[in-house]
Amino acid sequence: MTHDVRDGLKYTKTHEWVKLTGSKAKIGITDHAQEELTDIVFVELPTVGKEIKKGEELCVVESVKSVSEVYAPVSGKIVAVNTKLDDSPEIINKSPYDDGWLVELEVKDKAEVNTLLDATAYKKL
Amino acid sequence: MVLRSPLYKNQVKLSAKFTEFAGFEMPIQYSSIREEHFAVRRKVGLFDVSHMSNVWITGSDAAKLISLTTVEDTSRVENGKSQYTVILRENGTIIDDTIFMHLGEKFMMIPNAGMNQIVTKWLNEQAKNYHLKAKVEDVSHEYVILAIQGPKSKETLQKTTDVNLDSVKFFDCQIVKVAGVECILSHTGYTGELGFELQITPTRKASVVFDALLSAGEEYGIQPIGLGARDTLRLEKAFMLAGNEFEGGRTPLEATLGWTIFWDHEFIGKEALLKQKEQGTYQRMTCLECVEKGIPRHKCEIQKDGIVVGNVTSGTLSPCLNIGIAMGYVAPDKREVGNILDIMVRDKPLKVKVIKPPFVPKDWAQKHEEIATR
Repeated sequence: MTHDVRDGLKYTKTHEWVKLTGSKAKIGITDHAQEELTDIVFVELPTVGKEIKKGEELCVVESVKSVSEVYAPVSGKIVAVNTKLDDSPEIINKSPYDDGWLVELEVKDKAEVNTLLDATAYKKL
Repeated sequence: MVLRSPLYKNQVKLSAKFTEFAGFEMPIQYSSIREEHFAVRRKVGLFDVSHMSNVWITGSDAAKLISLTTVEDTSRVENGKSQYTVILRENGTIIDDTIFMHLGEKFMMIPNAGMNQIVTKWLNEQAKNYHLKAKVEDVSHEYVILAIQGPKSKETLQKTTDVNLDSVKFFDCQIVKVAGVECILSHTGYTGELGFELQITPTRKASVVFDALLSAGEEYGIQPIGLGARDTLRLEKAFMLAGNEFEGGRTPLEATLGWTIFWDHEFIGKEALLKQKEQGTYQRMTCLECVEKGIPRHKCEIQKDGIVVGNVTSGTLSPCLNIGIAMGYVAPDKREVGNILDIMVRDKPLKVKVIKPPFVPKDWAQKHEEIATR
Protein backbone atom coordinates (compact mmCIF):
# COMPACT_ATOMS: atom_id res chain seq x y z
CA MET A 1 0.00 0.00 0.00
CA THR A 2 1.33 3.42 -0.83
CA HIS A 3 1.05 6.26 1.63
CA ASP A 4 0.98 9.95 1.11
CA VAL A 5 4.37 11.58 1.65
CA ARG A 6 4.39 15.36 1.23
CA ASP A 7 7.23 17.18 -0.46
CA GLY A 8 8.64 20.10 1.48
CA LEU A 9 8.22 18.46 4.89
CA LYS A 10 10.97 16.84 6.95
CA TYR A 11 10.60 13.35 8.38
CA THR A 12 11.97 11.03 11.05
CA LYS A 13 12.52 7.30 10.90
CA THR A 14 9.90 7.00 13.64
CA HIS A 15 7.24 8.48 11.31
CA GLU A 16 6.90 12.03 12.59
CA TRP A 17 6.82 14.99 10.19
CA VAL A 18 8.07 18.56 10.69
CA LYS A 19 6.95 21.65 8.79
CA LEU A 20 9.24 24.60 9.41
CA THR A 21 7.87 28.14 8.95
CA GLY A 22 10.36 30.80 10.10
CA SER A 23 11.50 29.62 13.51
CA LYS A 24 8.33 27.67 14.22
CA ALA A 25 7.83 24.01 13.44
CA LYS A 26 4.55 22.16 13.27
CA ILE A 27 4.84 18.48 14.12
CA GLY A 28 2.59 15.55 13.37
CA ILE A 29 2.61 11.89 12.44
CA THR A 30 2.80 10.65 8.87
CA ASP A 31 0.10 9.05 6.77
CA HIS A 32 1.91 5.74 7.19
CA ALA A 33 1.84 6.11 11.00
CA GLN A 34 -1.88 6.91 11.15
CA GLU A 35 -2.61 3.98 8.86
CA GLU A 36 -0.61 1.66 11.09
CA LEU A 37 -2.34 2.92 14.24
CA THR A 38 -5.86 3.12 12.72
CA ASP A 39 -8.81 4.44 14.73
CA ILE A 40 -6.98 7.02 16.83
CA VAL A 41 -9.17 7.54 19.88
CA PHE A 42 -7.09 9.57 22.33
CA VAL A 43 -4.22 12.04 22.24
CA GLU A 44 -2.37 13.21 25.33
CA LEU A 45 -0.92 16.58 24.41
CA PRO A 46 1.89 18.35 26.29
CA THR A 47 1.54 21.69 28.08
CA VAL A 48 2.23 24.88 26.17
CA GLY A 49 5.45 26.51 27.38
CA LYS A 50 7.22 23.23 28.06
CA GLU A 51 10.80 22.90 26.80
CA ILE A 52 11.50 19.67 25.03
CA LYS A 53 14.67 18.06 23.71
CA LYS A 54 15.00 16.15 20.45
CA GLY A 55 14.15 12.49 21.00
CA GLU A 56 12.08 13.07 24.14
CA GLU A 57 8.45 11.98 24.35
CA LEU A 58 6.36 14.76 22.89
CA CYS A 59 2.90 13.27 23.24
CA VAL A 60 1.01 10.00 23.29
CA VAL A 61 -1.37 8.82 20.58
CA GLU A 62 -3.68 5.94 21.41
CA SER A 63 -5.75 3.74 19.17
CA VAL A 64 -8.33 1.31 20.49
CA LYS A 65 -5.66 -1.35 20.75
CA SER A 66 -2.33 0.42 21.20
CA VAL A 67 -0.45 3.23 22.88
CA SER A 68 2.22 4.98 20.79
CA GLU A 69 4.68 7.63 21.87
CA VAL A 70 5.46 10.47 19.52
CA TYR A 71 9.03 11.75 19.91
CA ALA A 72 10.20 15.32 19.42
CA PRO A 73 12.01 15.39 16.06
CA VAL A 74 13.80 18.61 17.12
CA SER A 75 14.40 20.53 20.35
CA GLY A 76 12.40 23.60 21.26
CA LYS A 77 9.67 25.22 23.33
CA ILE A 78 6.06 24.21 22.84
CA VAL A 79 4.10 27.27 21.68
CA ALA A 80 0.85 25.62 20.61
CA VAL A 81 -0.99 22.31 20.74
CA ASN A 82 -3.85 21.19 18.53
CA THR A 83 -6.69 21.32 21.07
CA LYS A 84 -9.19 20.13 18.45
CA LEU A 85 -7.72 16.68 18.98
CA ASP A 86 -9.11 16.57 22.52
CA ASP A 87 -12.61 16.08 21.20
CA SER A 88 -11.87 14.70 17.74
CA PRO A 89 -8.66 12.66 17.77
CA GLU A 90 -9.83 10.92 14.58
CA ILE A 91 -8.83 14.09 12.67
CA ILE A 92 -5.31 12.59 12.62
CA ASN A 93 -6.60 9.65 10.59
CA LYS A 94 -8.43 11.90 8.18
CA SER A 95 -5.84 14.61 7.75
CA PRO A 96 -2.44 13.65 9.18
CA TYR A 97 -0.52 16.49 7.48
CA ASP A 98 -3.01 19.36 7.83
CA ASP A 99 -5.82 19.45 10.43
CA GLY A 100 -4.25 16.56 12.33
CA TRP A 101 -1.06 18.35 13.40
CA LEU A 102 -0.09 17.74 17.03
CA VAL A 103 2.22 20.40 18.39
CA GLU A 104 3.95 23.60 17.33
CA LEU A 105 7.47 24.27 18.58
CA GLU A 106 9.63 27.38 18.69
CA VAL A 107 12.70 25.65 17.30
CA LYS A 108 15.92 26.07 19.27
CA ASP A 109 18.34 25.29 16.47
CA LYS A 110 17.12 25.34 12.88
CA ALA A 111 20.17 23.35 11.79
CA GLU A 112 18.63 20.41 13.65
CA VAL A 113 15.74 20.40 11.18
CA ASN A 114 18.14 19.98 8.28
CA THR A 115 19.45 16.73 9.74
CA LEU A 116 16.00 15.13 9.29
CA LEU A 117 14.97 13.10 6.25
CA ASP A 118 13.45 14.77 3.21
CA ALA A 119 10.44 13.31 1.40
CA THR A 120 12.55 11.25 -1.00
CA ALA A 121 14.62 9.72 1.78
CA TYR A 122 11.52 9.01 3.91
CA LYS A 123 9.77 7.27 1.00
CA LYS A 124 12.71 4.90 0.73
CA LEU A 125 12.27 3.66 4.33
CA MET B 1 7.34 -21.14 15.03
CA VAL B 2 4.28 -19.12 14.15
CA LEU B 3 1.12 -21.06 13.36
CA ARG B 4 -1.44 -19.88 10.88
CA SER B 5 -5.10 -20.66 10.57
CA PRO B 6 -6.08 -22.91 7.65
CA LEU B 7 -8.08 -19.85 6.55
CA TYR B 8 -4.98 -17.63 6.28
CA LYS B 9 -5.29 -17.30 2.49
CA ASN B 10 -8.96 -16.33 2.73
CA GLN B 11 -7.97 -13.65 5.23
CA VAL B 12 -5.17 -12.28 3.08
CA LYS B 13 -7.67 -11.99 0.23
CA LEU B 14 -9.90 -9.94 2.57
CA SER B 15 -6.95 -7.57 3.26
CA ALA B 16 -6.57 -8.58 6.89
CA LYS B 17 -3.83 -7.06 9.04
CA PHE B 18 -2.21 -9.75 11.12
CA THR B 19 -0.85 -9.98 14.64
CA GLU B 20 0.76 -12.72 16.66
CA PHE B 21 -1.38 -14.05 19.47
CA ALA B 22 -0.46 -17.10 21.57
CA GLY B 23 1.83 -18.39 18.83
CA PHE B 24 -0.68 -17.85 16.03
CA GLU B 25 -0.62 -15.29 13.27
CA MET B 26 -4.25 -14.18 13.26
CA PRO B 27 -6.14 -11.21 11.77
CA ILE B 28 -6.20 -8.27 14.19
CA GLN B 29 -8.47 -6.30 11.91
CA TYR B 30 -9.81 -6.17 8.38
CA SER B 31 -11.36 -2.70 8.02
CA SER B 32 -11.09 -1.03 11.41
CA ILE B 33 -11.70 -2.21 14.96
CA ARG B 34 -14.44 0.33 15.40
CA GLU B 35 -16.25 -0.57 12.19
CA GLU B 36 -16.01 -4.28 12.92
CA HIS B 37 -17.17 -3.73 16.49
CA PHE B 38 -20.35 -2.00 15.33
CA ALA B 39 -20.92 -4.59 12.60
CA VAL B 40 -21.23 -7.22 15.34
CA ARG B 41 -23.32 -5.05 17.67
CA ARG B 42 -25.74 -4.00 14.91
CA LYS B 43 -25.54 -6.57 12.10
CA VAL B 44 -23.39 -9.66 11.92
CA GLY B 45 -19.70 -10.55 11.98
CA LEU B 46 -17.70 -13.67 11.18
CA PHE B 47 -14.67 -14.61 13.29
CA ASP B 48 -12.02 -17.23 12.69
CA VAL B 49 -10.96 -18.31 16.17
CA SER B 50 -8.96 -21.36 15.19
CA HIS B 51 -6.23 -20.28 17.61
CA MET B 52 -8.51 -21.62 20.35
CA SER B 53 -7.93 -25.27 21.28
CA ASN B 54 -9.94 -28.46 20.80
CA VAL B 55 -9.61 -31.39 23.16
CA TRP B 56 -11.64 -34.63 23.05
CA ILE B 57 -12.40 -36.30 26.37
CA THR B 58 -13.62 -39.87 25.95
CA GLY B 59 -14.00 -43.05 27.99
CA SER B 60 -16.53 -44.28 30.56
CA ASP B 61 -15.21 -41.84 33.19
CA ALA B 62 -15.03 -38.78 30.89
CA ALA B 63 -17.74 -36.90 32.80
CA LYS B 64 -16.14 -37.80 36.14
CA LEU B 65 -12.79 -36.45 34.95
CA ILE B 66 -14.37 -33.12 33.97
CA SER B 67 -16.14 -32.90 37.33
CA LEU B 68 -12.87 -33.59 39.13
CA THR B 69 -10.80 -31.06 37.19
CA THR B 70 -13.34 -28.23 36.91
CA VAL B 71 -15.75 -26.47 39.26
CA GLU B 72 -18.68 -27.91 37.31
CA ASP B 73 -20.76 -30.87 38.41
CA THR B 74 -20.80 -32.51 35.00
CA SER B 75 -23.63 -34.89 35.92
CA ARG B 76 -26.05 -31.96 35.60
CA VAL B 77 -24.87 -31.02 32.09
CA GLU B 78 -27.23 -32.80 29.71
CA ASN B 79 -26.30 -34.37 26.43
CA GLY B 80 -26.43 -31.67 23.75
CA LYS B 81 -25.48 -28.86 26.14
CA SER B 82 -22.38 -26.67 26.36
CA GLN B 83 -21.05 -25.41 29.69
CA TYR B 84 -18.64 -22.64 30.70
CA THR B 85 -16.33 -23.55 33.57
CA VAL B 86 -12.80 -23.18 34.96
CA ILE B 87 -9.99 -25.70 35.49
CA LEU B 88 -8.14 -25.26 38.79
CA ARG B 89 -4.81 -26.10 40.35
CA GLU B 90 -4.72 -27.63 43.84
CA ASN B 91 -4.20 -24.11 45.25
CA GLY B 92 -7.49 -22.97 43.71
CA THR B 93 -6.00 -20.75 41.00
CA ILE B 94 -7.29 -20.96 37.45
CA ILE B 95 -5.31 -22.92 34.87
CA ASP B 96 -7.78 -21.97 32.16
CA ASP B 97 -11.40 -21.12 31.56
CA THR B 98 -13.18 -23.19 28.98
CA ILE B 99 -16.41 -24.32 27.41
CA PHE B 100 -17.04 -28.03 27.11
CA MET B 101 -19.71 -29.65 24.98
CA HIS B 102 -21.57 -32.80 25.92
CA LEU B 103 -21.84 -34.75 22.67
CA GLY B 104 -23.24 -38.19 23.42
CA GLU B 105 -20.51 -40.40 24.86
CA LYS B 106 -17.85 -37.78 24.30
CA PHE B 107 -17.01 -34.32 25.47
CA MET B 108 -15.23 -31.68 23.48
CA MET B 109 -13.42 -29.05 25.52
CA ILE B 110 -12.35 -25.69 24.06
CA PRO B 111 -9.37 -24.42 26.08
CA ASN B 112 -7.84 -21.05 25.23
CA ALA B 113 -5.24 -20.38 22.57
CA GLY B 114 -1.92 -21.97 23.43
CA MET B 115 -3.45 -23.94 26.33
CA ASN B 116 -4.04 -27.21 24.44
CA GLN B 117 -0.93 -29.03 25.61
CA ILE B 118 -1.11 -27.76 29.19
CA VAL B 119 -4.77 -28.71 29.61
CA THR B 120 -4.39 -32.08 27.86
CA LYS B 121 -1.40 -33.00 30.02
CA TRP B 122 -3.10 -31.85 33.23
CA LEU B 123 -6.30 -33.78 32.53
CA ASN B 124 -4.45 -36.95 31.53
CA GLU B 125 -2.34 -36.74 34.70
CA GLN B 126 -5.43 -36.41 36.88
CA ALA B 127 -7.14 -39.32 35.08
CA LYS B 128 -4.10 -41.39 35.97
CA ASN B 129 -3.83 -40.10 39.57
CA TYR B 130 -7.50 -40.81 40.28
CA HIS B 131 -7.65 -44.08 38.29
CA LEU B 132 -10.30 -42.83 35.90
CA LYS B 133 -11.07 -44.49 32.58
CA ALA B 134 -10.78 -41.43 30.43
CA LYS B 135 -8.68 -40.43 27.48
CA VAL B 136 -7.82 -36.82 26.72
CA GLU B 137 -6.66 -36.01 23.23
CA ASP B 138 -5.46 -32.71 21.82
CA VAL B 139 -7.02 -32.31 18.37
CA SER B 140 -6.57 -28.54 18.07
CA HIS B 141 -4.70 -28.76 14.76
CA GLU B 142 -7.55 -30.79 13.23
CA TYR B 143 -10.19 -28.11 13.73
CA VAL B 144 -11.12 -24.72 12.42
CA ILE B 145 -13.33 -22.71 14.74
CA LEU B 146 -15.66 -20.07 13.36
CA ALA B 147 -17.90 -17.75 15.33
CA ILE B 148 -20.82 -15.94 13.75
CA GLN B 149 -22.09 -13.23 16.04
CA GLY B 150 -24.53 -10.34 15.99
CA PRO B 151 -28.28 -9.71 15.76
CA LYS B 152 -28.35 -11.05 12.18
CA SER B 153 -26.22 -14.13 12.89
CA LYS B 154 -29.20 -16.44 13.11
CA GLU B 155 -30.70 -15.35 9.77
CA THR B 156 -27.29 -15.64 8.14
CA LEU B 157 -26.51 -19.09 9.49
CA GLN B 158 -30.05 -20.32 8.77
CA LYS B 159 -29.49 -19.74 5.05
CA THR B 160 -26.61 -22.24 5.08
CA THR B 161 -28.03 -25.04 7.23
CA ASP B 162 -31.06 -27.36 7.31
CA VAL B 163 -31.37 -27.46 11.07
CA ASN B 164 -34.12 -25.16 12.31
CA LEU B 165 -32.25 -22.62 14.43
CA ASP B 166 -35.47 -21.66 16.23
CA SER B 167 -35.22 -25.03 17.94
CA VAL B 168 -31.63 -24.42 19.05
CA LYS B 169 -31.51 -22.93 22.54
CA PHE B 170 -28.75 -20.88 24.14
CA PHE B 171 -25.79 -23.15 24.97
CA ASP B 172 -27.22 -26.08 22.96
CA CYS B 173 -24.68 -28.03 20.93
CA GLN B 174 -25.16 -30.59 18.18
CA ILE B 175 -23.69 -31.92 14.96
CA VAL B 176 -25.13 -30.22 11.89
CA LYS B 177 -24.26 -29.53 8.29
CA VAL B 178 -23.37 -25.99 7.29
CA ALA B 179 -22.89 -25.40 3.57
CA GLY B 180 -22.83 -29.18 3.22
CA VAL B 181 -19.96 -29.55 5.69
CA GLU B 182 -20.37 -31.40 8.98
CA CYS B 183 -19.74 -29.09 11.96
CA ILE B 184 -20.30 -29.06 15.69
CA LEU B 185 -22.68 -26.16 16.22
CA SER B 186 -23.04 -24.46 19.60
CA HIS B 187 -25.24 -21.52 20.47
CA THR B 188 -22.43 -19.69 22.26
CA GLY B 189 -20.13 -16.74 21.81
CA TYR B 190 -17.81 -14.15 23.31
CA THR B 191 -19.47 -10.93 22.21
CA GLY B 192 -22.64 -10.73 24.30
CA GLU B 193 -24.70 -10.76 21.09
CA LEU B 194 -26.86 -13.47 19.57
CA GLY B 195 -24.39 -15.93 18.08
CA PHE B 196 -23.15 -19.36 17.19
CA GLU B 197 -19.82 -21.16 17.06
CA LEU B 198 -18.78 -23.90 14.66
CA GLN B 199 -16.08 -26.56 15.04
CA ILE B 200 -15.06 -27.80 11.63
CA THR B 201 -12.97 -30.83 10.68
CA PRO B 202 -11.15 -31.62 8.43
CA THR B 203 -9.76 -28.13 8.21
CA ARG B 204 -9.61 -28.11 4.39
CA LYS B 205 -13.43 -27.98 4.36
CA ALA B 206 -13.54 -24.81 6.45
CA SER B 207 -12.99 -22.47 3.53
CA VAL B 208 -16.33 -23.53 2.00
CA VAL B 209 -18.14 -22.73 5.25
CA PHE B 210 -16.30 -19.44 5.71
CA ASP B 211 -17.16 -18.27 2.18
CA ALA B 212 -20.75 -19.54 2.38
CA LEU B 213 -21.38 -17.58 5.59
CA LEU B 214 -19.86 -14.42 4.14
CA SER B 215 -22.12 -14.68 1.06
CA ALA B 216 -25.19 -15.56 3.12
CA GLY B 217 -24.58 -12.56 5.36
CA GLU B 218 -23.97 -10.10 2.55
CA GLU B 219 -27.57 -8.85 2.56
CA TYR B 220 -27.26 -8.10 6.27
CA GLY B 221 -23.92 -6.30 5.97
CA ILE B 222 -21.71 -9.09 7.33
CA GLN B 223 -18.04 -8.30 7.95
CA PRO B 224 -15.07 -10.51 8.79
CA ILE B 225 -13.90 -9.58 12.30
CA GLY B 226 -10.38 -9.58 13.72
CA LEU B 227 -9.02 -10.11 17.21
CA GLY B 228 -9.03 -6.35 17.89
CA ALA B 229 -12.81 -6.08 17.83
CA ARG B 230 -13.11 -9.47 19.52
CA ASP B 231 -11.32 -7.91 22.49
CA THR B 232 -13.40 -4.70 22.61
CA LEU B 233 -16.62 -6.68 22.19
CA ARG B 234 -15.86 -9.03 25.08
CA LEU B 235 -14.54 -6.26 27.30
CA GLU B 236 -17.74 -4.20 26.97
CA LYS B 237 -19.56 -7.27 28.33
CA ALA B 238 -16.93 -7.82 31.07
CA PHE B 239 -16.07 -11.30 29.80
CA MET B 240 -12.74 -12.68 30.99
CA LEU B 241 -9.69 -13.06 28.77
CA ALA B 242 -7.66 -15.84 30.38
CA GLY B 243 -4.20 -14.45 29.56
CA ASN B 244 -5.14 -11.09 31.11
CA GLU B 245 -7.67 -11.74 33.87
CA PHE B 246 -6.11 -14.90 35.31
CA GLU B 247 -2.48 -13.78 34.92
CA GLY B 248 -0.32 -14.52 37.92
CA GLY B 249 -2.77 -17.05 39.39
CA ARG B 250 -6.29 -15.98 40.32
CA THR B 251 -9.06 -18.07 41.84
CA PRO B 252 -12.65 -18.12 40.52
CA LEU B 253 -13.70 -16.31 43.72
CA GLU B 254 -11.29 -13.48 42.96
CA ALA B 255 -12.43 -13.47 39.33
CA THR B 256 -16.08 -13.18 40.51
CA LEU B 257 -16.79 -16.49 38.81
CA GLY B 258 -18.28 -17.89 42.02
CA TRP B 259 -21.49 -18.62 40.09
CA THR B 260 -19.66 -21.32 38.10
CA ILE B 261 -18.74 -23.28 41.24
CA PHE B 262 -20.82 -26.32 42.19
CA TRP B 263 -19.77 -26.84 45.79
CA ASP B 264 -21.63 -30.15 46.25
CA HIS B 265 -19.04 -32.21 44.44
CA GLU B 266 -15.37 -32.98 44.91
CA PHE B 267 -12.95 -31.15 42.64
CA ILE B 268 -9.31 -30.20 42.57
CA GLY B 269 -8.83 -26.83 44.29
CA LYS B 270 -12.03 -27.03 46.38
CA GLU B 271 -10.25 -27.00 49.73
CA ALA B 272 -8.25 -23.91 48.81
CA LEU B 273 -11.42 -22.12 47.65
CA LEU B 274 -13.29 -22.96 50.85
CA LYS B 275 -10.44 -21.51 52.87
CA GLN B 276 -10.32 -18.36 50.77
CA LYS B 277 -14.08 -17.94 50.96
CA GLU B 278 -13.93 -18.10 54.75
CA GLN B 279 -11.15 -15.52 54.97
CA GLY B 280 -12.99 -13.23 52.54
CA THR B 281 -10.20 -10.67 52.27
CA TYR B 282 -9.21 -11.36 48.69
CA GLN B 283 -9.23 -8.81 45.83
CA ARG B 284 -12.11 -9.16 43.42
CA MET B 285 -12.64 -8.52 39.72
CA THR B 286 -14.15 -5.07 39.37
CA CYS B 287 -15.49 -3.08 36.44
CA LEU B 288 -14.33 0.51 36.16
CA GLU B 289 -15.60 3.22 33.87
CA CYS B 290 -13.65 6.44 33.25
CA VAL B 291 -15.28 9.67 34.37
CA GLU B 292 -12.70 11.73 32.51
CA LYS B 293 -10.78 11.40 29.23
CA GLY B 294 -8.16 8.72 29.03
CA ILE B 295 -7.71 5.02 28.41
CA PRO B 296 -6.71 2.59 31.14
CA ARG B 297 -4.49 -0.30 30.04
CA HIS B 298 -3.37 -3.74 31.19
CA LYS B 299 -1.12 -3.58 34.29
CA CYS B 300 -1.96 0.01 35.32
CA GLU B 301 -2.14 0.46 39.10
CA ILE B 302 -5.46 1.23 40.77
CA GLN B 303 -5.27 3.64 43.71
CA LYS B 304 -7.52 5.19 46.32
CA ASP B 305 -6.16 8.35 47.98
CA GLY B 306 -2.67 7.55 46.72
CA ILE B 307 -2.67 4.00 48.11
CA VAL B 308 -2.53 1.02 45.76
CA VAL B 309 -5.74 -1.01 46.01
CA GLY B 310 -5.45 -3.14 42.87
CA ASN B 311 -4.40 -3.39 39.24
CA VAL B 312 -5.96 -3.31 35.80
CA THR B 313 -6.05 -6.59 33.87
CA SER B 314 -7.78 -5.26 30.71
CA GLY B 315 -8.52 -1.78 29.49
CA THR B 316 -9.61 -0.14 26.29
CA LEU B 317 -11.72 2.58 24.81
CA SER B 318 -15.29 1.31 24.57
CA PRO B 319 -16.36 1.87 20.96
CA CYS B 320 -20.03 1.98 22.03
CA LEU B 321 -19.66 4.31 25.01
CA ASN B 322 -16.67 6.24 23.64
CA ILE B 323 -15.06 6.28 27.10
CA GLY B 324 -12.25 4.34 28.70
CA ILE B 325 -13.29 1.12 30.45
CA ALA B 326 -11.27 -1.33 32.53
CA MET B 327 -11.47 -4.59 34.40
CA GLY B 328 -9.15 -5.18 37.29
CA TYR B 329 -8.68 -6.61 40.74
CA VAL B 330 -9.62 -4.29 43.63
CA ALA B 331 -9.52 -4.70 47.41
CA PRO B 332 -12.93 -5.87 48.72
CA ASP B 333 -13.66 -2.69 50.70
CA LYS B 334 -12.94 -0.34 47.77
CA ARG B 335 -15.21 -1.79 45.09
CA GLU B 336 -18.67 -0.63 46.04
CA VAL B 337 -20.63 0.48 42.96
CA GLY B 338 -20.23 4.23 42.51
CA ASN B 339 -16.88 4.44 44.30
CA ILE B 340 -14.38 6.73 42.63
CA LEU B 341 -10.86 5.36 42.22
CA ASP B 342 -7.74 6.45 40.34
CA ILE B 343 -6.07 4.41 37.62
CA MET B 344 -2.47 5.47 37.18
CA VAL B 345 -1.82 6.05 33.49
CA ARG B 346 1.73 7.25 32.73
CA ASP B 347 2.10 8.26 36.41
CA LYS B 348 -1.01 10.44 36.32
CA PRO B 349 -4.30 9.57 38.02
CA LEU B 350 -7.28 8.90 35.77
CA LYS B 351 -10.59 9.07 37.64
CA VAL B 352 -12.80 6.01 37.29
CA LYS B 353 -16.07 4.86 38.80
CA VAL B 354 -16.90 1.35 39.95
CA ILE B 355 -19.85 0.03 37.95
CA LYS B 356 -21.94 -3.10 37.94
CA PRO B 357 -21.11 -5.22 34.88
CA PRO B 358 -21.60 -5.24 31.96
CA PHE B 359 -20.40 -1.89 30.62
CA VAL B 360 -22.72 -2.18 27.63
CA PRO B 361 -26.07 -3.83 28.31
CA LYS B 362 -27.98 -6.09 25.93
CA ASP B 363 -29.40 -4.41 22.82
CA TRP B 364 -27.53 -1.19 23.65
CA ALA B 365 -26.42 -0.67 20.04
CA GLN B 366 -29.97 -1.03 18.71
CA LYS B 367 -31.16 1.61 21.17
CA HIS B 368 -28.36 3.99 20.26
CA GLU B 369 -28.49 3.98 16.49
CA GLU B 370 -27.43 7.63 16.37
CA ILE B 371 -23.90 6.69 17.41
CA ALA B 372 -21.93 6.65 14.21
CA THR B 373 -19.43 3.93 13.40
CA ARG B 374 -16.83 6.63 12.60
